[in-house]
Amino acid sequence: MSPERGPPRTLAVVLPDLPLQRVLRARPPAGALAVVAEGLVRHATAPALAVGVRPGDSLVQARAACADLEAVPLDAVADRAALRALAEALLALAPVVELAPPDAVLLDAAGACLSGSDPEEAERVLAGRVLACCVDMGFRGRLAVADGKGVALALARHAGRERTRVAPGPGEGARALAPLPLAALDLPAEMARWLSAVGVGDAGALAALPAETLAHRFGAVGAAAGRLARGSDPRPLVPFVSETFPRERWDLEGEVGLLESAEPVLFAAKRLADRVAARLVGRGLGASRLRLTLLLDPRGEERVDLPLSRPSADAAAWLGPLRERLAGLRLPAPVRALDLAVVEAAEVPAEQLAVGDRPEVARALDVALSRLAARLGERSLFAAEAADRHRPEAAYRATPFRHGGTGRAGGAGAQPQPQPAPEAQPGRPTRLFDPPRPIVALGEGGRLTSLRVEGTVRAVLALSVPERLAGEWWNEPFDRDYYRARLEGLGEAWIFRDGRDGRLWLHGLFD
Amino acid sequence: MGTATRQQEILEELRRQIHRMERRPARREGVLACGLPEVEARLPGGGFPRGCLSSLRGGPASGKTGVALSALRQAQAEGGLAAFVDGRGEFYPPAALSLGVDLARLLIVRPGTARGELLPGLWAAEVLLGSGAFRAVAIDVPLRGVPAARAEPILRRLRAAAEKGGAAALLLSGPGDPAIPAAVRIDLDAVRLAEIDHVA
Repeated sequence: MSPERGPPRTLAVVLPDLPLQRVLRARPPAGALAVVAEGLVRHATAPALAVGVRPGDSLVQARAACADLEAVPLDAVADRAALRALAEALLALAPVVELAPPDAVLLDAAGACLSGSDPEEAERVLAGRVLACCVDMGFRGRLAVADGKGVALALARHAGRERTRVAPGPGEGARALAPLPLAALDLPAEMARWLSAVGVGDAGALAALPAETLAHRFGAVGAAAGRLARGSDPRPLVPFVSETFPRERWDLEGEVGLLESAEPVLFAAKRLADRVAARLVGRGLGASRLRLTLLLDPRGEERVDLPLSRPSADAAAWLGPLRERLAGLRLPAPVRALDLAVVEAAEVPAEQLAVGDRPEVARALDVALSRLAARLGERSLFAAEAADRHRPEAAYRATPFRHGGTGRAGGAGAQPQPQPAPEAQPGRPTRLFDPPRPIVALGEGGRLTSLRVEGTVRAVLALSVPERLAGEWWNEPFDRDYYRARLEGLGEAWIFRDGRDGRLWLHGLFD
Repeated sequence: MGTATRQQEILEELRRQIHRMERRPARREGVLACGLPEVEARLPGGGFPRGCLSSLRGGPASGKTGVALSALRQAQAEGGLAAFVDGRGEFYPPAALSLGVDLARLLIVRPGTARGELLPGLWAAEVLLGSGAFRAVAIDVPLRGVPAARAEPILRRLRAAAEKGGAAALLLSGPGDPAIPAAVRIDLDAVRLAEIDHVA
């Protein structure tokens, strides 16, 4: 017989004034600023509030109170994206995370008790980590832990100035909810109106109503509202799954942008890197290619692509290569904003370092590759991969040098398809001339005795049997007889006779 | 009491072992074998010294590239990364594959030969050697015709980078190239081609 399971322990973190927080997390500290929708002030910064701007004021009223007020339009899509960004980072702290729009994220806190003998203390530790994660991501949060997501959400949203509220166990939730207004329970409007009309003003009064009353009048929704008021919400969390790679932006407006020094930009990039890395950690991913876009003032942009030698979610490891790339940039205008995006990512299994491991080597590799890519171009650095082609000059292809993982592009769902590697072909020269160099055969009585190679006549000391390579009739047909010839004063050469015109070519050397 | 003393001794020994491992210098010492007995017999210590510049001199088809690739294969067999700086644009990876080189762990740097510049290849080699991330780096950059006064400081920097990073630096050079200030020099023309046939 299995033990009876109560509502799941849930942590709710609420971001008060999320539209305002979302604006402020992507720019330097602002003065008087208000988020405006439909001509009305919805949220305002402390300097704006201090001079009399109030949420609900019309923009005209607000400007009358504060002439310097900066008005930013409400952007619900961006707010939702900011909430998703936080949810991604919080995935590192809980097995399941749920978005609770417009301003909250829910976490499965049931596992917190595994990290300590005292469940309440373990939940407090988890709460501390969640708040720290919020700060790292540029948010200010308020949270509560309780039985069930409805209870936790109500406590977090209406717990007043207290940043953390932990309701220890069954029954505690009901007691904590009792003084809260009905609005905290997020009831349907019709039910809220009826309850208000019959004199039920808070959650405690609602909990005291007979369960059948609400069920008779409002059906299942009414029964659920009664359970919630009594501190019980058995609904499971709906897992949040992110579909896109992380992207963060920082606005330098009002600050000195980059003209002669890369340091201000690098400083801003570090902030973005920390946030992007936190989001990758939450999803168990590592970036194998990043793109930093520098938006120039007044227009134009400069893109810096940063391939990494192996997937990594270590922001500190990205900074070395970033510094190298930024130091080599010559920008025509100051930078007004930065945008850091993950272009390719791969799953990174959790690894424990062994004694003697040197993670700094991986960082040094990334820095070295970045320096080379910045000066020589990305195409100058590659790893080779055998290709299943008979034409010698096409028998390999260049692939990105990725040490320790395979890159994944095009979104979280894309998976690399393993391909069987073609077998190595013996008897290939270590040097290949592309294009081949013409040579002239010299002989007596139909016998090849020497070859004129780049103006020098060299005696043929030995000649192998021919190896015929032909094909690609559908594109550019070729038909060649290859010989391995030992030439006096040179060594072994790879020559071929072109079947189309009979001419001889030097294609490589066995150096 | 005896058990406690024994535990204390074990702990002390473990501490000493950890201390030894932690103070292990970044620079790797000893030599990097190339797996070719005919070549190893001619090298002091039986291999290319780590943290040093070695010169592999020979004609266009003397087998020097094959020897370098064999050394890179050995470096990979030790669990390290290897790099090939292909300043001439002639390196043919399928040959490396047939020699047992793991192409996925071989970084190829082809700085471009259009302008015939010398510096990008040597600069790339310096960056790779100094990074400490590679166990062996083969450098194939045309040096013929470069005045010794210009080549010498660059090669000295290469040597310093190899010392810093601990990698075995294998510089391929031809008969007309300036003298290389290398710790080890091997003339592949002197090694009979028949002896290293299996390289190719």
